[in-house]
Amino acid sequence: MTISSVETQIASKSRLKIERRVNPKTSWTVFMYLLAVVIGFALTALLIMTSGADVFKAFAALFKGAFGSQKSVFATLAKSTPLILTGLATVVAFRAQVWSIGQEGQVYSGAMGAYFGCLIFAGLPVWMYLSLIILSGMIGGAILGGIAAILKDRFDVSEIISTVMMNYLIVFLLSYLIGGGPWTEVSSTVVYQQTGPVPEASQLPHLLGSSKLHLGFVFALVSALVCYVLLEKTPLGYEIRAMGFNPIALAYRGTNIGRTTVLVMVISGAVAGLAGVAEIFGTSHRLRADTLYNLGYTGIIIGMIGGLRPLGTVIAGIAFGGLASGALYMKLLAQVPAALVPAMQGIMLLTFLCAAVAARYKIVRIQSDG
Amino acid sequence: MSDILKAVNLTKRFPGVIANENVNFDLRAGEVHCLFGENGAGKSTLSSCLFGFYQPEGGHIEIGGEIANFKSPRDAIHMGVGMVHQHFVLVAEFSVLENIVVGTHESGWQLKLTDARKRVEGLCAEYSIDLDLDARVGDLAVGQQQWVEILKALFLDAKVLILDEPSAVLTPEESLRLFRIIDHMKELGLSILLISHKMVEVMQADRVTVLRKGKVVDTVCPANVTPNELTRMMVGRDVELRMVRDRTEDAERKFETVLNVEKVSYRDGRGKLALDNVSLHIGKGEILGLAGVSGNGQKELFEILSGVLVPENGCLSLDGERIEGLPSRQYMDRGVGLVPDDRFREGLIPEFNIRENMILGWQRHDDYTNGMFLDHKQIGSIADGLIDEFQIATPSGATPVNHLSGGNAQKVILAREFVHSSKLLLANQPTRGLDLGVIEYVYKQIIAKREEGYAILLASEELEDLLNLSDRIAVMSGGKITGIVDPLTTTVEEIGLLMAGGKEEQAA
Repeated sequence: MTISSVETQIASKSRLKIERRVNPKTSWTVFMYLLAVVIGFALTALLIMTSGADVFKAFAALFKGAFGSQKSVFATLAKSTPLILTGLATVVAFRAQVWSIGQEGQVYSGAMGAYFGCLIFAGLPVWMYLSLIILSGMIGGAILGGIAAILKDRFDVSEIISTVMMNYLIVFLLSYLIGGGPWTEVSSTVVYQQTGPVPEASQLPHLLGSSKLHLGFVFALVSALVCYVLLEKTPLGYEIRAMGFNPIALAYRGTNIGRTTVLVMVISGAVAGLAGVAEIFGTSHRLRADTLYNLGYTGIIIGMIGGLRPLGTVIAGIAFGGLASGALYMKLLAQVPAALVPAMQGIMLLTFLCAAVAARYKIVRIQSDG
Repeated sequence: MSDILKAVNLTKRFPGVIANENVNFDLRAGEVHCLFGENGAGKSTLSSCLFGFYQPEGGHIEIGGEIANFKSPRDAIHMGVGMVHQHFVLVAEFSVLENIVVGTHESGWQLKLTDARKRVEGLCAEYSIDLDLDARVGDLAVGQQQWVEILKALFLDAKVLILDEPSAVLTPEESLRLFRIIDHMKELGLSILLISHKMVEVMQADRVTVLRKGKVVDTVCPANVTPNELTRMMVGRDVELRMVRDRTEDAERKFETVLNVEKVSYRDGRGKLALDNVSLHIGKGEILGLAGVSGNGQKELFEILSGVLVPENGCLSLDGERIEGLPSRQYMDRGVGLVPDDRFREGLIPEFNIRENMILGWQRHDDYTNGMFLDHKQIGSIADGLIDEFQIATPSGATPVNHLSGGNAQKVILAREFVHSSKLLLANQPTRGLDLGVIEYVYKQIIAKREEGYAILLASEELEDLLNLSDRIAVMSGGKITGIVDPLTTTVEEIGLLMAGGKEEQAA
């Protein structure tokens, strides 16, 4: 429903009306987002109450688990690493108004590409080995993104449909490879859906003596910086933003929209692929499906909450990382079901989307004269 | 005569602007009353309030002496007010009759087409409107579609008819006919509120209310004022109404061909032949005017000449080099500038600021980049220079173009296309919807480019302007060039005839 139709409906019933703000103030925008956090927590509190747990205890446990100690901060940052990357993948695509839902599949294909690299490049000097693994992971994600873009450019296939379909395909391919196929772990008698551990030389080094935080987090921050520079400081970024606002004028003035779409999807896919690399070679150290599950879809939420901006995405990613690492504490200390965390994420998405609209519009009362 | 529709101290604000301020206006029974004013003067806002589309914040509306509080157009229709919008609201797949009946209160759950047919036939006879009620609306000419809209209003027992720039889409013949029927409607007791900025039409009305910057300047009888006086009331100053180009040197000019178009055809997405064997040429330092009712292939021609579309047949050459089938990038690199007719859709990125829009299409050019990166400092200084040079009224170069008025937005496009092109300028309706002051400015700039030796293709709906500016005028109708005339010897009537299909169709 468009704003104008909302306007007439409301106007005809209650004499209230939604108007666009001429110049939204930054302080107002910040206030709305803070309000979104408060309302989000309040709604979550209601949900916790229905589960019968102590709300205060639950939130205290959540915060302690997320940011309560150096160890938990490191765990949070480790959890946030793939989320920031899939969030950035969303930012690049959505800013161009390319509605890719393929981050999920690209995380898998990135992880698979990297695992393939770790098999064939084994034996090379460690830094070269790591670089090639990362590169092959990014290529894995980029290929999947590129396919969707080419389908859109050549055959006018909606990227929403093609990326969702490929998300399913790629999960089945991975299931085959690690659930009886050539990459299945052979040592045990029971078949787990996973590969054997990756060589130690291929694992991303840990940082600051933490057992969880790894080099992948640095990649996430660097990727955010690269995305920012790409979007704001380069001609390609100019084209991406222009395409998001008005592809017709861009095409009228000589930019090939199809080619730009392919570039956007390749870049977005490569960044999502990097998330798969970070998760496999930084945290789980073997290729398995369950640790990758939902990273891509959550990234869409994070990119949206981050306002489709790289810095906002980093902040939202860390917040969601905190939710994920605090969930276990909440479950242990306050007996709150861990399933509450995805519900809370959903609530936060809704309140943030509301805040984004509220920051740009205002409700005014119409003066009546008769 | 009594007032049938009246606005008393009507005020309507939008964020940042007062569109109508204390407007007093009355429409008498059985008169044609014209609202006259520049774009943005508040004509459309006033008529939208009278039709219940907007609710005024101050003042009120009276119908037949009683205060009417329209909450939506539905209320206005119920009170006998009908409106024909500039952009029609018709279902192309439906017949004329179905379009008239569907959506009216009378239809209910069941369409009573036989009863309705009798009533509509009666209305057609009464107002001498000649229309096939079973024709598919999509097959009708634009002028006939307008009749369907008018019949829709009459079918709902409108006593007051608001016509928003009704002749904007019509050929000269069609608008003559429209005004004959408007006269007839008046005689039968209908009251007509006409929004227009065409002087000929304004002078035919019984009374004229002139709006400027949201306020009523005066309500006058055209019989008592001259067109010049009206114009002065509209703009608040004397304006050189039409640009007249100095033609003293014309005789000595020889135009060396820059652009040559030979037998170009183009079929649109629906398989319709939008361009049919179009041939023309434009020389160095020449303005070729392009006349025609919009929708007769002009847009496709401009898109082909700028490389946005690829012709099905025929060839294009620029300075003797074949260019058809090349990407639009190549056209730009060869010095072709384009001023598209839909400026916010085709010429600008509305959310981008002025500086960013100044380099649209040239974002990879060496002047604006520093290695891999955009050189924002350089872009800013070049763009700000252009803002001064083209007198763009804006607080700064960082203002998004969707905050600019149509005239200033158009100047952004002109500035960009003028500095980046070198040979050929394609200007499709560059003055549409602009104030007289800006129109004058745009034409002066185009004439200056002619003096510099540009070949210029200029399309306009204002025949007077084409006659005054062009070296030659090509007329389009139905995707064909129906004639190329000399502005010094031709007449408006001759061009009008060519716009309506020309000699061929007359013979057939």
